[in-house]
Amino acid sequence: MSEPVDDEALVKRFPWVQITHDSKHLFRGWLDERLLINRCDNCSLFHHPPKPICPECWSSNLTPTEVSGRGVIHLAMFLRQGAPAPDVDYLKGPHPVVTVDLEEQEGLRFSSTVVGCPVEDVKIGLEVELTWIERYGSPFPVFRPRTEGAS
Amino acid sequence: MARRNPMRDEIAIVGVGSTKFGRDAGGVSPASLACEAAINAIRDAGVEKSDIDGVVGVLEPGAPRANQMAAALNLPNVTHHSGPMPVAVFGLVDAMTAIFSGQCDTVLLYYAFTRLPWNSRSAANDPFRRYMMMGGGTAKPPVPEAIDPAAAYTAWASRYIHEYGATREDFGRVALNMRANAARNPKAVMQFPLTMEDYLSARMIRDPLCMLDMDIPVDGADAFILTTTEKAKALTPNPVVIHTATAGIVGKNDEDQLPNLSRHGQHVVIEALKERSDIWIDDVDVFFPYDGFTIITLSWIENMGYCPPGGAGRFMQEHWDDASGSVLINGRVPMNPHGGSLSEGASRGTGHLREAVTQLRGDAGERQVADAKTALIGCGGFFFNSQGAILKRL
Ligand SMILES: [Zn+2]
Repeated sequence: MSEPVDDEALVKRFPWVQITHDSKHLFRGWLDERLLINRCDNCSLFHHPPKPICPECWSSNLTPTEVSGRGVIHLAMFLRQGAPAPDVDYLKGPHPVVTVDLEEQEGLRFSSTVVGCPVEDVKIGLEVELTWIERYGSPFPVFRPRTEGAS
Repeated sequence: MARRNPMRDEIAIVGVGSTKFGRDAGGVSPASLACEAAINAIRDAGVEKSDIDGVVGVLEPGAPRANQMAAALNLPNVTHHSGPMPVAVFGLVDAMTAIFSGQCDTVLLYYAFTRLPWNSRSAANDPFRRYMMMGGGTAKPPVPEAIDPAAAYTAWASRYIHEYGATREDFGRVALNMRANAARNPKAVMQFPLTMEDYLSARMIRDPLCMLDMDIPVDGADAFILTTTEKAKALTPNPVVIHTATAGIVGKNDEDQLPNLSRHGQHVVIEALKERSDIWIDDVDVFFPYDGFTIITLSWIENMGYCPPGGAGRFMQEHWDDASGSVLINGRVPMNPHGGSLSEGASRGTGHLREAVTQLRGDAGERQVADAKTALIGCGGFFFNSQGAILKRL
């Protein structure tokens, strides 16, 4: 794990994100290629996106907790045009954007793109796992089809 | 009916005013459009400047704030002014509650909508529009993977197709209905006819939705005058009253964390409307499902109870009127007779509200529904802006 960066440096590493005191842990995790999802110390439920309290029991004792990043695609769309990113070329074909049900908790979802397979293979129900690409010089969490332990 | 509804039929809409809707209003500000609509509504209601003691200005990008509007119109005695968020029913609820509670007696409610630089090339070329942003605005560029509200409707459309086996034609029928209705509304910007073939070959934007699944940005404004029903009776022979109106959200309303298609804002809205009213779909003469995206319309039709979940496509097919090229439920009840946001223009529900009032007054000309007494509006989408209203002719 790398040295934790201070708030100023964190903002500089993700100039394209509006980071808040509630979401800073999520993005610090990205720098170490770890997906940290807020988990409540009191009732142990996860929630996402990061909130200042646990929406279930209102405890403010939250621990950003590394999740496996394994899950199943719940929503899937294919962008023919959209916001720019250095690793995305809409002219080469539709850019998949998926929302994944994470295996840690029912209904806990994380949205990103899918790499490592033809776009036609990206479908609701596909089992995926987390991997990382570089975007604007910082790690960015994405999904790929499950390679290990897929059922 | 299981809930209090002390405001039932107590507040009336006595004036409507609008501007031309345009793909490019050209050289005019949102404030100018708002003033034009406001003056039309005030004159339509037959009230004086000094009668208007409430100003509700919806926070559309670039739209004038309520205090700026009061200054532009030089309204001398305003005791309630506020700035609710889009879409249409938030403003309606704010205006009616302000009157009912006694904060004011007569409200000017207005909405001015503007094509933004990111949804129109000509708007992007207007240097005076570059600062305008939807919502709070942020200097950060979005990323392709952002599940913002617009993208999220497409994402959930994928789930709808997955769960119910819906076809593109099911979505296309929504677009065709609106376009056919728009032909009977001179105000509508999309006047050329649309066939299913056109729909199926339209450019995909985000699969599974195409360009014709999204509403059409316009420059324009709508305004309304509201007052007590008691005062309304003195002003007009045909006041339209608000039977009930509501917003609705669920706790998990972050776009990609929504529990499922069977539990979101629309369900909360519908439960609230039913619990505050004895009127429901069998009593409705004109139906206004929101159509910012076609998936929203399909969901309103199903969730209102016109058909089971997943059945809206088939429902529209069964209730299709070949003569008009549009839906007539039971041969009688049209869906967005003005053409909706898809074909009249993206007014974020103000067109639905205006047309409901116009129909209930009997002023809708060639698209008038015979003896229309009751209108049902399902406004907004799934996440943070689901709303509904039942309007009645008194
Ligand atoms: Zn908790």
